[in-house]
Parts: sequence; C-alpha cells; structure tokens
Amino acid sequence: MSSASKKTLVVTRFDPDRDSEPRSQRYEIPVQDDWMVLDALNYIKDEVDGTLAHRWSCRMAVCGSCGMMVNGEPRLTCKDHLRQYGDTVTVAPLANFPVVRDLVIEMDGFMEKLKSVKPWIVRAKELAVEAGPTRQSPEQLEEFKQFSMCINCMLCYSACPVVSNEPEFLGPAAIALGHRYNLDSRDEGARERNQVFRGEGTVFSCSYANECSEVCPKHVDPAAAVNQSKFNAVIDWATSLVLPRGGKE
Amino acid sequence: MARPANPHAMHSAHSGRTRTAPPLMPDQFPLRGRYRAYTLFDLTGAVYLVMGLVMLRVVWALGSGSHAWQPLREAFASPAWVAFHCFALICVVFVGVRFFRLFPKAQPPRIGPLKPPPGLAIYALLYLVWITVSIAFLLIVGMGLFR
Repeated sequence: MSSASKKTLVVTRFDPDRDSEPRSQRYEIPVQDDWMVLDALNYIKDEVDGTLAHRWSCRMAVCGSCGMMVNGEPRLTCKDHLRQYGDTVTVAPLANFPVVRDLVIEMDGFMEKLKSVKPWIVRAKELAVEAGPTRQSPEQLEEFKQFSMCINCMLCYSACPVVSNEPEFLGPAAIALGHRYNLDSRDEGARERNQVFRGEGTVFSCSYANECSEVCPKHVDPAAAVNQSKFNAVIDWATSLVLPRGGKE
Repeated sequence: MARPANPHAMHSAHSGRTRTAPPLMPDQFPLRGRYRAYTLFDLTGAVYLVMGLVMLRVVWALGSGSHAWQPLREAFASPAWVAFHCFALICVVFVGVRFFRLFPKAQPPRIGPLKPPPGLAIYALLYLVWITVSIAFLLIVGMGLFR
C-alpha cells in the first residue's frame, strides 16, 4: 500500500514559439511512495499542466525514451524512484542535446552518428536462406552480448564531457553498437567501421572519463567499447599498411 | 545552472524547421560529483608538464658540468622542491591507480586466437611491474649509482 505525500518538481520548460531560452517551472504535487519520476511527470501532464512535453513509452526501461536529467544526473525516469530524492526534484532535458520543447531533445544528430557506424550485420556476400542459420557458440555470443543490451537512451551522451565540446565525436552508444557488430562472428564489416572510428568523429577523442559506463541504466560498458575500438582501429590501420592491397580481399 | 555546451553538440546535419534551445553541459561538470576525479586526473597533466621541464633542466645541468649540477642538487634539497616532489608523487599514484582500474576493460576481447588474461591478473601484473620498477629505482638511488 503506497502513501501520499507532497513533492516539488522543478521542471525545465521551453516553448520555441514563445521562449527565447529555457526557464524553470515549479509544480507542487501529491506523490505516491511507489512512484517513479516519470509517474510524477505524467501526473503533471494529466492533472496540472497539459502543455508539458516529455517523451516516454514502455515504462519498463526497455524503449529508452524517457531519459532526462534528474537532479543533474542523466537518468531513465521510468527506472528512477521518486522517493530517493528530497522534497524538491529538478527535471531537465538531457544535457548536450538541443532542446525541441520542454523535456524533449532533438535526436537526429544521434541517429546520424548511429547510422554512420552501420549497426547491423555486414556481409561481403549474403548467405542463401537455404544455407540455414549461422551458428554461434556461447563463447562467441559472450564477446559482444553486453554491448547489444544498449537501448539507445542517450544517457551516455549526456554524461560525456567530450560530447559537450566536440560535436564530431561519434559518442559512446554509437561506438558501443558499432563495436558490438565488429565482435560478432557473423559480421564482415569491421574494416568499414574501423575507418569510421578513425575518421572525423574519431574514437581517439575519448579521454576515458568513464562517465558513460557509470550512468548506463542497462549496465553496458560503452567506455570499454570505445577504448577497445581504439586498439582495434590502430591494429586495423597498421595491418592495412603492411599487407598487400591494404589487407583487402 | 549548467554551462552552455558547444552550440553544435549533437546537432543534426539536416536541421529541421523547429527552433531549438542550445545544448547545455552536464550540471556537475567539471568540479562536482564524479567529474571531480576526472578533472583532477586531467589537471595532473600540468604537474607532469612542470616535471618534464624540470627534467630538461636537470639534463642540461648534467651536461654542463659540476658547476651547474651542484647548485641544482642543493636547490632540490629546499623545502619547496621537496614539497613539489611529494605532491608530484601523490599525482603519480593517483593517476596510476585510476589508470590501472580502467586499463583491464580497455583490452580487446581477443587478438586473433589470443585472449587477454582475466582482469584480476592484469591488475596484479600492473601493480607488480609498478612496485618492481619503483624498488629498482629506489635501489639505484639508494646505492648511489649516480653520485
């Protein structure tokens, strides 16, 4: 049985048609003990102020839609109990992203970075369906499994100090997902991805703050992926120098 | 209030028609929360820069003969230099511990057929090398090899 109390949510608001810059708005609302931060935002939206804009969908930390800055930390609001915070809780849009409206960020930049690393299985020659499934041993699966748990919630981008300063940097999630396919035994696209990793948004911009791994709600380790990718990118570059035809088949 | 990030951070190459608010840095960057340790880690670079310059000065003095070397040795015995070197030692230990903590997971899962040893073994190896090299230096200095 949950009990009701009151909390004040200080929510960042921004209306591109009216506001020159984001502002804060306070909402004092009754809350239940078992509420997540997202429940409080939905209460405000439903009962107090219907103009509040925020993204959410699954409510079970799977879709990655409801990432926001809660008391200055990037959090998935559907996974974050309201009771762990004090009487006043600040909710802001994810840091390092342009803000479309209120708590809604512009995702296009991230989607472009993600697409550039080809987060899908690349084959030199597609296998025929008749050839049957491509088998993979548990050991082969284990090599990339944790990186495939990424839900693209973009919390890692909000925590990364390099993303704040270097717009070209591919960023933790995109590199982690590219790395995930590089480690997949079925994939043959590592060389293409490593070229992207060495290119304009280079993995070498990462200064290993490790914040991406600290804030990941799915316990993926993007910092490991980024730094393993540095090593692989160097090896790939070095072998392309010494092998005939740059090591191309 | 968070500081502004690079205005182009996470911007799309194909901007839409909606006017957006510029991106902000994380609230706690650079001096609060977990960022503090990261910022301190980076700031130690300034100490290494000074140490590098001092090292160049030492090499220059060594090459210039005893008239340059002796005054430098005496200067290093002053409390200010002793304090600086103690501070530099703390910085080195801090960076070493942080580096060793993060190093194992940066290893690729395999190079060809070779897999790296478990993280614990890498930790142990790193600390073993560090301690061995430190003891070797202490012995060299303690035995007066360069006196």
